[in-house]
Parts: sequence; structure tokens; C-alpha cells
Amino acid sequence: MYGHQGKILHVDLSKNKIWTEDIPEEWRKLYVGSRGINAKLLWDYCKDPTITWDDPRNIIIYAPGAVTGTTAPASGRTSVTTVGCTTGMYLKSNTGGHWGAELKYAGYDHLVVHGVSDKPVYILIDDDKVEIKDASRLWGKDIIETDTLLKEWHGEDSRGLYIGPAGENLVRAASIHCSLYHAAGRGGGAAVMGKKKLKAVSVRGTKPIRVKDPKKFAEVAEEMRELLRADSGAQGLHEFGTAGSLAGVNELHAFPGRNWQTGYTENVHPITGPALNEGGYLKRRVACFGCTIGCHRYSTIEKGPNAGIASGGPEYETFGALGNGPGIIDTEGVLILNEICNRLGLDTITAGTVTQWAIESYLRGVLTKEDTDGLELDWGKLEEVKKTIEKIAFRDGKLGDLLADGLKIATEKVGHDSYKWAIINAKGLEQSNVETRSAKAYALAFAVNPRGNDHLMTETFAEFGSSPEAIEVIEKITGDKKWASPHFTEYRAEIVRWHEDVYEITEALGFCVFTSTAAYGVNPDNMARLYTAATGIEMTEDELMLTGRRVCTIEKAFNVTRGATRAHDNLPWRLMNEGAASGPLKGETNSQEELDGMLDKYYDLHEWDKETSWPTRATLEKLDLKYIADYLDELGKLP
Amino acid sequence: MEKLLLVDMDKCTGCKQCSLACSLIKEDLFDLARGRIKVLKKEDIALGVQLLCEQCDAHPCIDACSDGALSRDEATGIITVDAEICTECGSCVEACPYYGIRLHPETNIPMICDLCGGDPYCAKHCVPGAISWVDKTDDLLRDKKKLRSARMAMYRTVKKEAEK
Repeated sequence: MYGHQGKILHVDLSKNKIWTEDIPEEWRKLYVGSRGINAKLLWDYCKDPTITWDDPRNIIIYAPGAVTGTTAPASGRTSVTTVGCTTGMYLKSNTGGHWGAELKYAGYDHLVVHGVSDKPVYILIDDDKVEIKDASRLWGKDIIETDTLLKEWHGEDSRGLYIGPAGENLVRAASIHCSLYHAAGRGGGAAVMGKKKLKAVSVRGTKPIRVKDPKKFAEVAEEMRELLRADSGAQGLHEFGTAGSLAGVNELHAFPGRNWQTGYTENVHPITGPALNEGGYLKRRVACFGCTIGCHRYSTIEKGPNAGIASGGPEYETFGALGNGPGIIDTEGVLILNEICNRLGLDTITAGTVTQWAIESYLRGVLTKEDTDGLELDWGKLEEVKKTIEKIAFRDGKLGDLLADGLKIATEKVGHDSYKWAIINAKGLEQSNVETRSAKAYALAFAVNPRGNDHLMTETFAEFGSSPEAIEVIEKITGDKKWASPHFTEYRAEIVRWHEDVYEITEALGFCVFTSTAAYGVNPDNMARLYTAATGIEMTEDELMLTGRRVCTIEKAFNVTRGATRAHDNLPWRLMNEGAASGPLKGETNSQEELDGMLDKYYDLHEWDKETSWPTRATLEKLDLKYIADYLDELGKLP
Repeated sequence: MEKLLLVDMDKCTGCKQCSLACSLIKEDLFDLARGRIKVLKKEDIALGVQLLCEQCDAHPCIDACSDGALSRDEATGIITVDAEICTECGSCVEACPYYGIRLHPETNIPMICDLCGGDPYCAKHCVPGAISWVDKTDDLLRDKKKLRSARMAMYRTVKKEAEK
């Protein structure tokens, strides 16, 4: 087999059964790999809407990409797909690190875990040798301790994927960690692992990966590498990390603070990428497997009272959710909170967003001192934020238990209109730190995102026009450079549609989305050529983009089985109803009217029904998804 | 002009493009174990230490081979293995002071970096500039040795810690 290794590894924790299956040739053409084939697998096993996230029939799938493990630059990423616990709907989360490539070297493109174990276990993969092992000595251990033990038992060259205490405690903010500091963070996939009592997957692989046409493959990979080398976005990511852009975002008054009540922070410097470099905290620039960008950070505090803190990151989102959000405008403060989340296995975005909601609820008197277990919450109090996130991970006390279930459930429990300052949309995922009120393609992308409102199912960064490459992308989509401004509502549906497909194929091949939607060295044209060189499967740019659309449609259809309607494609109440606090777009909202205009166009472009938002039979059949149309028909969910 | 390969641990992001590139150019496939360059990765401290043949003046690998399978090009310092003579004993691996030799996973013949005959393929893949192929000057030769010493010191520290 070329490109792919050709095997799906199945492990059933209920039946204690392990087997492999060949990837059907047709799937490689229709769904390509990773996220794409994951979507097909999840549909096949879990389409029945009675399968909830905590049902033993729910599966969790881990998959590196079609070209992972090669010199294709930044192609080492892994998609994790399951019925998510935060939304109860489709969840794809994607992680960097070195675990996915190792799985592929062990000979597998996908790992599918079925069933639940009655006691803690981990999966050990050493090429063809696969075992379900007792994890009683790992259960309760944090991420660092878990990785250390696994390496002690299975070698320094083994690669680990695991959950921390938060995942064990079925916390919705729990993240699946990979190679220590990388994470499939969003949507609560770690709670699905926790429910299955699956603590970790340790992998070691020694099987080479072959490509059909090595010469051609090397040529295309070189083209991508050189485009990325020259790309200003990629250079910035290497130099300052994802947080490099924060000062600029703040200047646009688009850096959410105090639970989205502010967009601009005076003296923001301590919580930006350059502060890590200048303060001597940045120890190393780090890359995921095969990545030529190297945007990840390893940061340490070496002096003063906090000396000894060391961890991966912090990323843009962490400086937002645990810095500007709760008002911790302090480099070391964010480093400390980041380190706690990386140990306990918490998604910094959700942990930070639920904490901000708790602070505001307390200040409004909706949560009392009794509800907060005595914590006097307020903006800018590091100790209180620290205690809150530790409580979340362990479901400790009244506050920990309330916040551990995420804002969708917490707001229902608390009432008092507390949904109005909960930064979640109807699907229920806590929003990532993008000011959608002043970035309209992001607003639409967040609203229609099948896993909830964040930037990690499609990223429309190009609309900011902040690099020549980004402006070129907007011109390619809309025909005119002038639309490279986030304030327009015109052409946003077109921009979102293009990015959805590009984002999907990027992940299907295993590339990091930064290569194609933040920097632009990897594009549909060179991805198609690379895929053909890797696999020998003829694929044009248009055909590859169509596979992206096909997979996005499966993901949408999956949510339709779970009751998704047009009403689920919205944005948090605050952003739809309260104006931005300051800046050029002061007073701007994501109003329903504005959103409706973009949604109509978006559904039209997808050829979905505008009233319900559901894919039609004709559209599904055109995408070779008749089996999905038939099932939705059975459920009475075809428009 | 004579060139030399500068290998800087501090710029290494641990991505392993160099090993992948090496296995591709040498064997038309991707297998880290077939890279003539290896990156020792220590995930907890985000460290990558590159290990490869340094074309050193002392070349103890040659003396270690009792069968005389290894020879050295005096001009370039490049070591060549005669696979017909090699008994796959691994003495050269043990002798290398830079941990730069490994046995091929299938043939067991030692794999030794040959600088791709004067155009190292790995260097083209190292975008962060941790591996660079530069014109040789006295200053750069000194830098090369300094960088190498730092890598070896780190390698030995990491190994010592692992043995604890």
C-alpha cells in the first residue's frame, strides 16, 4: 500500500477483542483519510441517535493522515472523532505531537476503540502486537506522570496519548493529550475515554511508509516546504508562536477580555508571544512530527518564586482564555495556569471560559459564596482562578462539580438568565477566543461548525487580509481583493465554504491547518498532486475539494440525526445581543438578522434546505452519500 | 570552496524532517530507523539532539573494524562501508564517539552519513536552520566543533539520567 498503510485497527474493550480491517479502496477515493475516513466510520457505527457519548456503543477513532510520516511539511497530525460529550453531537478534534506518525509506523491508519472496560486499561501497540493492559497504576496520575511511566515501561522511543484526572472524572473541559503538551483538546473527547476507562494508548512502530512515486512526491513536498519557508505567516508562527498575533488583535479591539465584555486591554504585552521571548521564558521552539514551521513553545520559569514551572505553550488561546479572559495580565500567571491544565488534562479554552462565566456570575450575585465553596471570585485574581480550575478537574466541591459539566448544563442548573453571559451557542461548546462581532466570516464559520462554536473545523483567518498570501486567497475566492476585510458580510458564505473544504482535506491528508489556512504554502492544487504521488490514486484539485465537501456533509448529517436544526447554527447570546465594547466596531453585534443573511447564502452554496438546514436527498446523492439520505429518510429527517 | 555541515541543537525543533529526508534519498521510503542522521528526542523537555557521522579526524570506527570493511576518503573525511566485507558485528557503532553510526534495520550493515556526496539532502529540509551546509572558514570550523561538543554533552547527560 502506498501513502496509507491500509489498515484499521479495532479494539473492543467490552469484549476484550482486537482485530484489523483493510481500508476499502473506495474510501481512499471518497474520504481520503484521517478526518474523512473517521467521519465515515463514525457514521457507520454510531449513526443511531440513541447512541449517546457515554453509551458503550459510542466509538472513539484516532487517525493520522494519508501522508503522515513523510517529508510532506507539517503532515504529522491526528484527528480524533467520536460522539462528543460537550454537545452530544459530532466531535472531531485534532492534535499535533508525534503519536500519530508512530501509529502509522506501527502499520495502522486508524485506531477504533469500541465498548467500555470495567476497570482502567491502556492499549499497548508494538507493530503487530496489540494488547489491552491493566492501567490501575496509571489511573489518577497526571499527564506528566503517565507519560513518564509509559516511557519507563515501553521505552523512551514509545509515544503516548492519554487523559489526565479531568478525563477520568468525566469533565467536559477535559482534553486528550498527545506527546505530553499537544492536545485534541476541545469537545470533551477525554471524557469519552474516561467513560471507557481508557487511560492511554502507547505506540511503537517500525514499519516504513512507502509512496507510489517518490521522486514526484519529493518535488511536491519541496514546493510546499519552500512556499512555507517564504510565507510571512509561517515565519511569524515560528518566531513568536500562535500568541505572536495577540498585540495586533488587541489593537483591533478584538481580544476578548472579562468574559467578552472588553475587546481592548491596556498594557497587554505580558500576555503576548513576544513577552515569552523577551522575558526569557521561551526555552525552545518545538515542532510536531515532520513540521517545518515549529510554532509550538516550551516555556519555563527559571527565577523567582515561581521557578520550576515548565510546560508546552502557552498558545494564543491560553493567553486569551486564562489570561485576558479572567484578567490575568501576567506572563507568569498564565504560565502557571497553563502548566496546571497540561498536567490535569484540561482544555485551556473551556477551562478558562467556564471560569470567566463563574466570575461574572459571582459578581452578579447569581452564584453565592456558598456556591463557590468560599472563593471570592473576581477579575485578575490568580489564586482564585487556579483553585477554580483545579476544582473543575477533580469535580471538587459545589463549584467544581457545577463547572465540570460545562456551561450548557451549568446555565440550566443555575438559571437566572445566566445563559446570557455564557459564551456558548445552541450546540453548547465554549467559544474560542475570537471576537466574532467584528469578524463576520468567523461568525458564520463558528455558527455552522458541527462541533460547536470555535475555529477548529474551519478557520477563515484570510478574511483579515493580514499577509499578501491571505489577500491572494480572498481574491481567489471572491474575485476581488477588497473583500479581504473582516467587517463585510458580503462573500462571507463563499469564504467559509471554501475554507471548510480546504480545512477538511488538509486534515484528511494529515497536514496542520496552519499550512493552508494561516500560512498558505499548502493548497488544494499541491495537495491533490501530492496525494496522487503518494497513493497512485488520480485526484484533481476539484475532486479533492469535493471530498472535503462530502465529509463536511457527513458531519452535518450526523448532527441532523441528533436533532440539529437551523436554530443550532447560532452564536452566544451576548455576542448576538450586546455590542462590542470599544474600537472601530463599537456597538457591533452578531445579530440574528445579519447571521440569517449569511446562513441563507451558506445553505444555498451547500445545496441544503434553508428552513431546516438539512442536506437534501439530491445533494446527498450527488455526493455519493445515498446511504445517508436513506437513513435520514428513515428518521424522517430529509427536508 | 570546501563546505561543512553545521549542526545546532538549540535550533532543532525535533521535527525529524532530516531523518525522513535521509531515508527517502537513500532508500525511496520513509523510515526513521534508516536515516543516517538520527534525532534523539526527549519529549518532556522538548529537546532534539542530532546524531550523525562527523567525518572526524580520529575516525576510531576504522580501527575498530577488524575486517577492514571501512575506508575513509582523505579529502572529504567520508567513511564508506564495504558491504561484502562487513560482518555486521557492530564494532564501529560502539567505537563512534559521536553516536553517529547505526545498523540498517534489514541488512544490519552500518549506515554512515556520506554528506550525499557533497550536497546534503537533510540540510535542504531543515527550515529552522539547525542543519546548514556552509562554506568552510576557520571560524565556522570552530563553531562546528563547539556545537558538536554541546550536543555530545547533552546526549551523555540525557543517557545518564535515563540510566538512573
